[in-house]
Amino acid sequence: MSSQIVFDNVSKFYGDVLGVNRVNLSIPPGITSLVGPNGSGKTTLMNLMTGLIRPSRGKIEILGLTPDQPEKLFRLVGYCSQFDSFPKGLTGYELIYSFLLLFGHDSATADELAWKAIDRVGLREAANRKAAGYSKGMRQRIRLAQSIAHNPRVLVLDEPLNGLDPLVRAETIALFRLLAKQGCHVILSSHVLHEVDIISDQVILMSGGYVVAEGNIQGVRSEIQEQPMQILIRCDQPNTLASRFFEEDHVVEVRMHVDKKGLLVKTSDPDRFFLLMNRVALAGRRVESVAPVDDDVNSVYEYLIGEEGVR
Amino acid sequence: MAVYKRTYRGYSGAITPMWSRFLVLYRFSRQTLFRSKIQTAFYVLCFFFPLLCLLGLYANAHLSAFTFFAGRTEPLFAVDSKFFLIYLGFQASLAFILTAFIGPGLVSPDLANGALTLYLCRPISRAEYVAGKMSVLVITLSWITWVPGILLYIVQSSLSGLDWFVQNLFLVVGVFLGSWLWIIVLSLLALALSAYVKWRIVAGALMLAIMFMGAGFAQAINAVLQTKQGYLLDISKLASIIWQSLLHDTLDDIPLSPTEAWFALLAFAGSCLYLLMKKVRANEVVR
Amino acid sequence: MNPLWIAQIKAVIRLELRKTFFARRGLWIYLLAFAPVALFTMQAIVENHVKGENPPAGARLITDQELSSIRHGMTMEEVTARLGQPAYTNTSRHPGPDSAKDVQVRVMKYPLETGQFNVVFEDGVVTGTWSRRGGIPFYKETYVFAGVFQFFFIRLAIFFGCLGIFMNLFRGEMLDKSLHYYLLAPIRREVLLVGKFLAGLLAATVIFTFSAALQLVAASLSFDASTISQFLYQQHGFSQIGSYLLVTVLACIGYGSVFLATGLLFKNPIIPAAIVLIWEAANPLLPTLLKKISVIYYLKSMCPVQVPVDPGMPKLLALLVSNTEPVSAYLAVIGLIALSAVVLFASSQRVRTLEINYTTE
Repeated sequence: MSSQIVFDNVSKFYGDVLGVNRVNLSIPPGITSLVGPNGSGKTTLMNLMTGLIRPSRGKIEILGLTPDQPEKLFRLVGYCSQFDSFPKGLTGYELIYSFLLLFGHDSATADELAWKAIDRVGLREAANRKAAGYSKGMRQRIRLAQSIAHNPRVLVLDEPLNGLDPLVRAETIALFRLLAKQGCHVILSSHVLHEVDIISDQVILMSGGYVVAEGNIQGVRSEIQEQPMQILIRCDQPNTLASRFFEEDHVVEVRMHVDKKGLLVKTSDPDRFFLLMNRVALAGRRVESVAPVDDDVNSVYEYLIGEEGVR
Repeated sequence: MAVYKRTYRGYSGAITPMWSRFLVLYRFSRQTLFRSKIQTAFYVLCFFFPLLCLLGLYANAHLSAFTFFAGRTEPLFAVDSKFFLIYLGFQASLAFILTAFIGPGLVSPDLANGALTLYLCRPISRAEYVAGKMSVLVITLSWITWVPGILLYIVQSSLSGLDWFVQNLFLVVGVFLGSWLWIIVLSLLALALSAYVKWRIVAGALMLAIMFMGAGFAQAINAVLQTKQGYLLDISKLASIIWQSLLHDTLDDIPLSPTEAWFALLAFAGSCLYLLMKKVRANEVVR
Repeated sequence: MNPLWIAQIKAVIRLELRKTFFARRGLWIYLLAFAPVALFTMQAIVENHVKGENPPAGARLITDQELSSIRHGMTMEEVTARLGQPAYTNTSRHPGPDSAKDVQVRVMKYPLETGQFNVVFEDGVVTGTWSRRGGIPFYKETYVFAGVFQFFFIRLAIFFGCLGIFMNLFRGEMLDKSLHYYLLAPIRREVLLVGKFLAGLLAATVIFTFSAALQLVAASLSFDASTISQFLYQQHGFSQIGSYLLVTVLACIGYGSVFLATGLLFKNPIIPAAIVLIWEAANPLLPTLLKKISVIYYLKSMCPVQVPVDPGMPKLLALLVSNTEPVSAYLAVIGLIALSAVVLFASSQRVRTLEINYTTE
């Protein structure tokens, strides 16, 4: 069985409205974040992956299976969708237990798996209350529990941290990390970029239905040629260092840090710049640290999807 | 955080009068009213019969203009209670179908999508909300019932003279009151069902069910119990009895008295209103 | 059959029954189904109450034509000229509208074939008439039951009840935004369709066959044990009861498959439901081939008692009553099941390509 999730030239149109267009992706195991503004196609991509909608063009394969094979696919895939609704009249426990019976599990196994999933999200006390009466955070947690109850290998999560308090957020992120470590594909979408930074192994940036960039953050950042890389250098003689930098043609801008103990440098060729820093250090100048400041999701998002990057 | 620029002020300009505030709902509901082509086409079709009646009135008064009727001096038909009863009956049936299209979509989407909270946290009461939603049906149905009816009466009066106008004033009053009664009953029924079931399509199905089931069960009661009281469940029959009495048509063959019909129909409307007010709430508590 | 499929179908049925049975929003279906039971029970109570009043020996029975010829405003002489002398007369005095003068009220009672016809006079002039039917013969009761069963129970109660139950299965889930839970489970969509259909069918058949059985019991309450025993053992009573229950089940199968399909195929299934209602009603008028594409065509043929056409019956009702091209029971069962199977097959093709797009609902 393949270990990838593959989108092969996939497009989806809702009538005249573009959902996603010409998406080519190959998602490895680990935590992959879908990032993009509202309406960029993240949910469409997730719905395509899970067969809730069908592509207008192209092919999708999840671990070698297609969404046309639900009886095999959904043993391996769990989806925590954005839809905040439940079948009428079911308690949290019944929601998970009843749908586990659809897997063909017997009553005892379904019961055991249901309670295990409920415990994982910390909802044991509320499990026998109607799901429709839960608070927003509880609803999110029970949906998460429902998606992980059958121990899937691919977990697709549409804004899974919405409505969760900080403690539960941390626990949920820890759960995702654990699952990713065990070889699962965890694909989630989020607007909280600093969390995406912390937890993701790779990101897929989307805008206007197109995949703008994919890969690990540093790799994506290094490929954005038109945006000079910003690097923060902490040193004791910033003025002297600044005048040295101005001799280099790849240095676009040098600014003094507000505390006057560092420089913010923009360079169009980070590799040459780092070689330069080696020479500077070998020449005896005291440099405390050299760190890129814009190789995070926030910066990449701004460059690619912000005003300048909109297609 | 220090507040040092106290420049925020609430709006203090002119506001619209409170009494007409409910018409805001009508204005916005109207925009979605005729998005469906089938619905729009049907609404246009509803004007055909009044138009046909209008042409008939003209033809009736100007037979000599038509070579087909050359030599005929008697009118084709009498413009009396029966004429307006047929007009009212036909247009009322179309009004029912139109209500089944429009009515269910008025309250149920607001309940299903949690929009009622948004309405009721504004300075609008539940009664105004219901009035606003009802006004959609009232105004739409008025255009196909009493408005063309009055127009037909005016046209016939202009063709027949002032005497006819004065002697038959009860006809226009009957058409007006009869139409309003039917409009109010249909509106309350549609809104009550729309609020009760929360699904637009099921509300539409229930409207059909209540009309057909009511008539069917009425017949069943009459057949089984050898009585005529079964008609108390048939709202179309009750309305028809009331129209006959308002238009001073013959009442010999009616199964119930007009008083019984009025009471039954008003009780039906009252229970729809009760159900509606019970269901139109900002919050639903799930236990 | 694949044991996994059986387990999955059972799981779907379990899920659906929780939502269908004892759900408050399904209360109207129960009211619909059990309204005829209430009706027949009331009839039995009334029949038992009035049965004791037999006409005196030799009294002339009034016909329906004579009864309907009596009008408000007629004098006593005019009434006795038409109907003859009454079997019983009651006289009383009541205060009039102006309390100075009392009003003499006289009620003349004439015997009917089953029951009594009363003519009320105030000050010698007819002001009202009313009939009290009682002691209806058993054979007539079977016609009354057949009429209510065919025209109200099948065509309206089961029709709208199945509309409510089966449309809920897919379209209702879409509106509730909960269908995606099913589509994200490892179940073939065709198996899901079968499971949901069987769940709806189970609910519908239990509700409506129970109602039909109770109606039969209620309709027989006003008859003595010997009459009922004679009907059951000598007049193929059990076979008739079995036929009514079978017709009920088949009606649920037929209408259920149709409404499941309309719920899948149409965003607003009310228009096709209205079309089906008109199609079923217009069945007697259709050509032979088109007649067969209808649920009521097969059901009518299987009803054990054909409702007789009265001369005074309205033409439309007479048309609905008549069964000019009856089909044998076996062919009717096979035909109906075949029709349902075709409809379900079409639904299964549709469910395979079903997409979730709640925002457009």
